[in-house]
Amino acid sequence: MTAAAEPVVCFKRFSYRYPNTDFYALKDINLTLPKGSFIGFTGPTGAGKTTLIKSINGIIPHVEGGACSGQVLLKGCPTGNLSTAEIGRLVGTVLDDPEAQIICLDVEQELVFGLENYGVPPDEMEQRITTALSSVGISHLRHRSTRSLSGGQKQRLAIAAALALLPEVLVLDEPTSELDPLGTEEVFTVLKQLNVKHGITVLVAEQKTELLARHCDQLVILSQGEVALAGTPREVFKHKSIYHLGVALPQVTELALRLNGGRCHLPITLEEGIEFCRALVPGGGGKLCNRSLT
Amino acid sequence: MARVIEYVYRESVVHSLNPLSKLAWALGVMFLALAFNNVYYLLTLLSTVVAVALLGKVLKDLATVFKGLTVFAGILVLLQVIFFQGEEVLFYLLPGHILPVTGEALYMGLAMAVRMMAVVLSFIIFLATTQYKDIILVLTEKLKLPYDYVFMFMTALRFVPTFMAEAVQVRYAQQVRGCPVDSGNPLQKIKAYATVALPLVLISLKKAERLAIAMETRGYGSGIRTYYKEPAITKLDMMVILSTLIFIVLALFLRMQGYGVVQL
Amino acid sequence: MQPLIDIKGLSYSYEQGQPALQDINLTIYPGELVALVGQNGAGKTTLVKHCIGLLRPQTGRVTVCGQDAAKTRISHLARQVGFVFQNPDHQIFHDTVQKEVAFGLQNLGLPRDEIEKRVAAALRDVGLQHLAQVYPHRLSRGQRQRVALASVLAMQTRIIILDEPTTGQDSLERLQIMELVRDLNREGHTILFITHDMTLVARYARRVIVLCQGRVIADGSTRDVLSQTQLLAQTLLEPPQITLLANRLNGLLTPGSEVILTVDEMVEHLHKVNGGSIDGPCD
Ligand SMILES: Nc1ncnc2c1ncn2[C@@H]1O[C@H](COP(=O)(O)OP(=O)(O)O)[C@@H](O)[C@H]1O
Ligand SMILES: Nc1ncnc2c1ncn2[C@@H]1O[C@H](COP(=O)(O)OP(=O)(O)O)[C@@H](O)[C@H]1O
Ligand SMILES: [Mg+2]
Ligand SMILES: [Mg+2]
Repeated sequence: MTAAAEPVVCFKRFSYRYPNTDFYALKDINLTLPKGSFIGFTGPTGAGKTTLIKSINGIIPHVEGGACSGQVLLKGCPTGNLSTAEIGRLVGTVLDDPEAQIICLDVEQELVFGLENYGVPPDEMEQRITTALSSVGISHLRHRSTRSLSGGQKQRLAIAAALALLPEVLVLDEPTSELDPLGTEEVFTVLKQLNVKHGITVLVAEQKTELLARHCDQLVILSQGEVALAGTPREVFKHKSIYHLGVALPQVTELALRLNGGRCHLPITLEEGIEFCRALVPGGGGKLCNRSLT
Repeated sequence: MARVIEYVYRESVVHSLNPLSKLAWALGVMFLALAFNNVYYLLTLLSTVVAVALLGKVLKDLATVFKGLTVFAGILVLLQVIFFQGEEVLFYLLPGHILPVTGEALYMGLAMAVRMMAVVLSFIIFLATTQYKDIILVLTEKLKLPYDYVFMFMTALRFVPTFMAEAVQVRYAQQVRGCPVDSGNPLQKIKAYATVALPLVLISLKKAERLAIAMETRGYGSGIRTYYKEPAITKLDMMVILSTLIFIVLALFLRMQGYGVVQL
Repeated sequence: MQPLIDIKGLSYSYEQGQPALQDINLTIYPGELVALVGQNGAGKTTLVKHCIGLLRPQTGRVTVCGQDAAKTRISHLARQVGFVFQNPDHQIFHDTVQKEVAFGLQNLGLPRDEIEKRVAAALRDVGLQHLAQVYPHRLSRGQRQRVALASVLAMQTRIIILDEPTTGQDSLERLQIMELVRDLNREGHTILFITHDMTLVARYARRVIVLCQGRVIADGSTRDVLSQTQLLAQTLLEPPQITLLANRLNGLLTPGSEVILTVDEMVEHLHKVNGGSIDGPCD
């Protein structure tokens, strides 16, 4: 984990209430999200994932209204003091519905949209467009109509459109919820690459814990507007209260917990699960696990 | 219907023209159509419009629009026939000398129908052969219309096909709950349409909210804009604009001389 | 036994493009609980739309409860087949949950007290009785999905078809819907559901039909189909993680045994292999 890295997003005692409601959708959130990390947010519907994402990209408080207290800092600067356009240069946003977030009719124009809004010089655009398209692996679709793309391709286009603006942070609100397994895999592979190769901080709300376990450095579980658990996926899954938070564990993790109550190095991916089972069986050939996590 | 006002990608002279000259042409057609009411003049105008569609290789794509327009034209003729009383009665619509059809009314109706078709078609050809981004660019940069309004209008147009597809889904969803969308009774039909319209509005509002967030987070309206590729004005464009102007002047002249106008 | 849905030689293509369905032959019998799987665009929605007459076969024949679906009015078929759309917002338009659920029954022309009884029962079944007077768009997507399901339930049809009923929902909501589906099946409804979630398929379906580019490439018991990893890969699906785990350990743990579908089965199996004592590899 990049514990030493400077925080890029920081929640300081942040609470938020939507207009015309009488409860706080986020309550006293304190989180420090280091630069270059890959962080997953999960929790049941209504836990506040979308609200949290909207607080990072400035939709809250600039567009939504409502009441908030505390602060969200982007590289040390409170979001309240920045305009949404300024925030947009730093934070790229991808939403869940592949249809509703595509603004233009063709792929190239979708990327150009943001660049033109920010007044990027035309001769610089070409370079940015090619780079953004190739880093999500859809260079070959540049001249296609956006309507002819598959769900996974649309989501990757949405990521590319955000990337063209050279953000340091990508926030994604359940980007795979409408996709099939292939589309889901496409999106997460791209996110991982962006994180590892280009050092982009990825903050993603997601239900599919098997994916989060595989890709995240840190996992935050929200429940009723509060941070219920936070830590590495392994730490989080090991926690006793996880069962009451409405989060489905990866099946290998569930298996291990069922077998020995999580007293050992908890498997969270398929490969680790195989290792775990080998060690279980006499003559299974697996190394006996002797690492113990606290 | 879903493909009415969509950009159709083809390699053609018309596509390669600057949006400005295509817009000038469409406005020119409108001017000429309003200047005359002689059916032969108007028919000539309509055939030049069709010729442009042919040149732009979009005639086939406009077939459905054409069908719709013909129906509309029929209604126009009928309305004229009913409401305009001339002298020279040709025949009666209903037996017993009810609803006389006069030659003048028929002529007026036809003129109006052809005029309407020429104007509407020319604008549809403009939309079908010009990319949205170029239209936006020309309207805002060249004609100095406010970007916000132009963008909103064009985006609304762009979502028409999505909207149509949603409407089909909503209709299906109500049909499978036994809602008689397909029944003959007009009262029930009106009720059934409400069951389609309401969810459609709600869905569209939700989509609009998402779209607004997507635009906001990508710097929409953040200040000084640049443009990626500005369509160039070529010699051909100059010729199109110039000849449109010439035709307009010519039309004005003819009109003042009393040509192309039929006094009824 | 008389089949409820009988599809023979069905092919269909939309106006533009390739055929969405090619030569489909399927029979569904009363009391079945069937999962229809396949990647996006495989033709799942197109196929089920034929079962309720929304689409008419271009070639072939679809018979539902003995009637030719192409020749029967949709509003008539709706008495036999309940259909829950993928997006509940396509149908919801009333200002209370209760009215929304009652709408279909009014279309059937039922007496008022019968409608009230059925609506109450359906809302109880989906666990939304306490929200009967709420504006539906206030509810979460999962709850709205259950409103849509309730409005189909209330029509008391023999067959219920669900198009991706769990998409976009959290794990608890997914389980709630699937538990409900299983209960309905136990009460005698024949059920066909579409999903991408192979964990749910493994846990709830008894029969699985795999669609790939408009063709049926597998049709059989859940255990049989999920054991064919190669075949599923053709339509870009993967068996549940626990099944993959068991497969990878094959030869070591599961000599010649059946496919593992759920965590429960795996736990049991490991206990058997280890002679009943599992204490974990370290402590
Ligand atoms: N626009 C809104 N107006 C009022 N309340 C809202 C709005 N959006 C969300 N909420 C409420 O805020 C809480 C958190 O919602 P949300 O952030 O959407 O959760 P999640 O994304 O985890 O499902 C929920 O109780 C929800 O009902
Ligand atoms: N209304 C439509 N018009 C044209 N093509 C369509 C339409 N609906 C679906 N298709 C096409 O038919 C194929 C099957 O679609 P569908 O049945 O929706 O798949 P699934 O439900 O398995 O995702 C896809 O290739 C899709 O693009
Ligand atoms: Mg959300
Ligand atoms: Mg579908």
